Amino acid sequence: MQEQLHSTTPVALPDQLTVAASPHEKSRTHVPHLMRDVLIALMPACLFGIFWFGWQAALLCVVSVTTCVAAEYLYQRLLHRPITVRDGSAAVTGLLLAMNLPYTFPLPMLIVGDLFAILVVKQLFGGLGKNIVNPALAARVFLFSSFPAAMAGFPARPGLGSSYADAVATATPLSLLKEGGVTEFSVTDLFFGTTGGCIGEVSALLLLVGGVYLLCRRVITWHIPASYLGTVAILTLLFPRADGRLESMLLELCAGGLMLGAFFMATDYVTSPVTRGGRLLFGALCGAITVLIRYFGAYPEGVSFAILIGNLLVYYLDKFTRPTPFGKRRAKK
Amino acid sequence: MKHSFRGGIHINEHKNTANCPITPLPPPKTVAIPLSQHIGVPCAPLVAVGDYVRKGQPIGRAEGGLFCPIHSSVSGKVIAIRRRQSMHGQALTDIVIENDGADTWHESVLEAEQPTDSLTPEEIIAATEAAGVCGMGGASFPTHAKIRSALGKVDTLLINCAECEPYITANHRLLLESPHDVLRGTLLLLRALGLSRGCLVVEDNKADAILLLRRLCEEGYPAISVEVVRTKYPQGDERQLIYAITRRQLPPGKLPADIGCVVFNAETAAAIYRAAAWHKPLCERIVTVDGDCIREPKNLLVPVGTPFSALIEACGGLCQTPERLVAGGPMMGFAVWGADEPVTKGTSAVLALSDADTDGYLGEHDCIRCGRCVGVCPMHLLPNYIASYTRIGDYEGAAENGAMSCVECGSCAYICPAGIPIVQFVRAAKTVLRQKRS
Repeated sequence: MQEQLHSTTPVALPDQLTVAASPHEKSRTHVPHLMRDVLIALMPACLFGIFWFGWQAALLCVVSVTTCVAAEYLYQRLLHRPITVRDGSAAVTGLLLAMNLPYTFPLPMLIVGDLFAILVVKQLFGGLGKNIVNPALAARVFLFSSFPAAMAGFPARPGLGSSYADAVATATPLSLLKEGGVTEFSVTDLFFGTTGGCIGEVSALLLLVGGVYLLCRRVITWHIPASYLGTVAILTLLFPRADGRLESMLLELCAGGLMLGAFFMATDYVTSPVTRGGRLLFGALCGAITVLIRYFGAYPEGVSFAILIGNLLVYYLDKFTRPTPFGKRRAKK
Repeated sequence: MKHSFRGGIHINEHKNTANCPITPLPPPKTVAIPLSQHIGVPCAPLVAVGDYVRKGQPIGRAEGGLFCPIHSSVSGKVIAIRRRQSMHGQALTDIVIENDGADTWHESVLEAEQPTDSLTPEEIIAATEAAGVCGMGGASFPTHAKIRSALGKVDTLLINCAECEPYITANHRLLLESPHDVLRGTLLLLRALGLSRGCLVVEDNKADAILLLRRLCEEGYPAISVEVVRTKYPQGDERQLIYAITRRQLPPGKLPADIGCVVFNAETAAAIYRAAAWHKPLCERIVTVDGDCIREPKNLLVPVGTPFSALIEACGGLCQTPERLVAGGPMMGFAVWGADEPVTKGTSAVLALSDADTDGYLGEHDCIRCGRCVGVCPMHLLPNYIASYTRIGDYEGAAENGAMSCVECGSCAYICPAGIPIVQFVRAAKTVLRQKRS
């Protein structure tokens, strides 16, 4: 093509021109670019998790991503379907699932979770774009109910030189809050992530950085994170569980899977509404259910369940918040 | 504050020809003038094979109904009257004229400019009609009929100089090089409509034109103001333009006159002035020739009926193999079958695009429901649902999500990261729904 540009001999028209519907120009941002941006946005929190918890955390991430991509590839290969692993969505699912687990989680169970996410939740419903609930979240809940013992731990950072079997499982800030509102965790620790927890959930700050990256790159819009976090903030400010309204609110915002959920799980394209109003309602709904489960449910944390419940309502949220077409607004009754 | 609207896309403007002056095309050897270049009844030929015609001579008109008369764009001999298929797929008649290169004007065209200050509204409309002026922005609606339909109903006259489509700079150059024709045409429209004030609407990417027009308006055209709108596609769409300036929303199926507005394209306004002052029919127009396959992009003054191939040749030919030729802008223009396609009154651009520009990334993915199409739709519809419902043949579902209100601006298909040809789905749904409802 470069040669053509610089040559002076005239170029002839081809025998056949493409005749297609307009537009004849397209944006250069495609699905793989969006998924790549999500992976980039997850990196700060993920790398911090690996730095904080050690190589076992890295192993979990790598195994999870590999299993998801391989499962999708093999499924599509066996069923003679177009291979879509290059779009990057399977890798995102794998990384999200790993980041949602404690670094002590056994690898065989992780692989079972990955297979559940990709094969059952995603592919059986028709693949990317057709799944009803978020595959990573559904798999997390699946693992949570199948292997509660492995999931329940809240492993602290392993001491230098200690093996991962020595990791001490402690109570989570959210379970302490649930039991009586006394917690020795500081908001600063939870914000910066210098605490125990799931690999990718510990550092609220770095998850925020990733979320801001997604917003700046216009991969996601502000509606869902803002209404999700806003609803949790307002509810926990009004009904504090710990001492001090503001501190209680900050504690609730930084603890558990809220940041990861609000920026990376609830904003999953496929399983969230497409309308602005729908997104605001969806975020508010997730926020309210999260707080209700945290306060009154059987579990200390409710982000996964809240988003999954929201996922099921997406079609109706879209339908009820369908915008009025331009020009139809001023219809007089 | 700059006026705008909700939705739309910021798109690479490709305004490569903004500094290319309008140059006359070297006289084409033959022209093939279509007898239907407007919305309405096709014209019947007034000449026969072998007749000698002069530039500006009427060569086609219809017996009645909505039409624009057709004039010869060159002087020479009629060598054929042939039928062919138009780029829209309809049967069409062309009058083929061999150019003698003399460029002698028909006797009906005045040799000196006639003052237009004393023309009555009816005289202005009659001159517009006789000159065969139609909307030059692309839709090609007969202008005299538009003025008549707006008489007594409108309070706002807008001259559309937005030119929001990428590549096209024909209006921009017109505003810089012949601003008085546009402004005088606007005055004539004001008189015809009985209005006291009108306004030119320009996108803010044409700063030089805005400065020039503002100065001219202050000096000599107090009835005309210049309004600046933010550069965003599809700002030049009539509905978005009216909304940006007046905040009035045009209901689907209504005409702008129903909400008190009327919009004319800048080049149309200039054509109205030339029709009134010179009795000069609309038989040539400015065409932007651009695209990554054109060696030297240019703005050309082109006789109607000139084949695209002559325009491409005048721009130094092709520098790489194009994947498609487009008549009009890349967002709403039509891909044509071949370079024999003639320029019509509505052809604002001829683009030769390689597949790097059109981007062959199509339909590789299912919809991932990212909602970008919803965010950019200037009509506030749900394009992803329309496309999905149409794909499974549920046309009522498509209608429920607004298929019939779509203006086919292409913003959704442009932004779609899955490369889904959404506009094509919408058109399919519209066709079926229209058949069902009639």
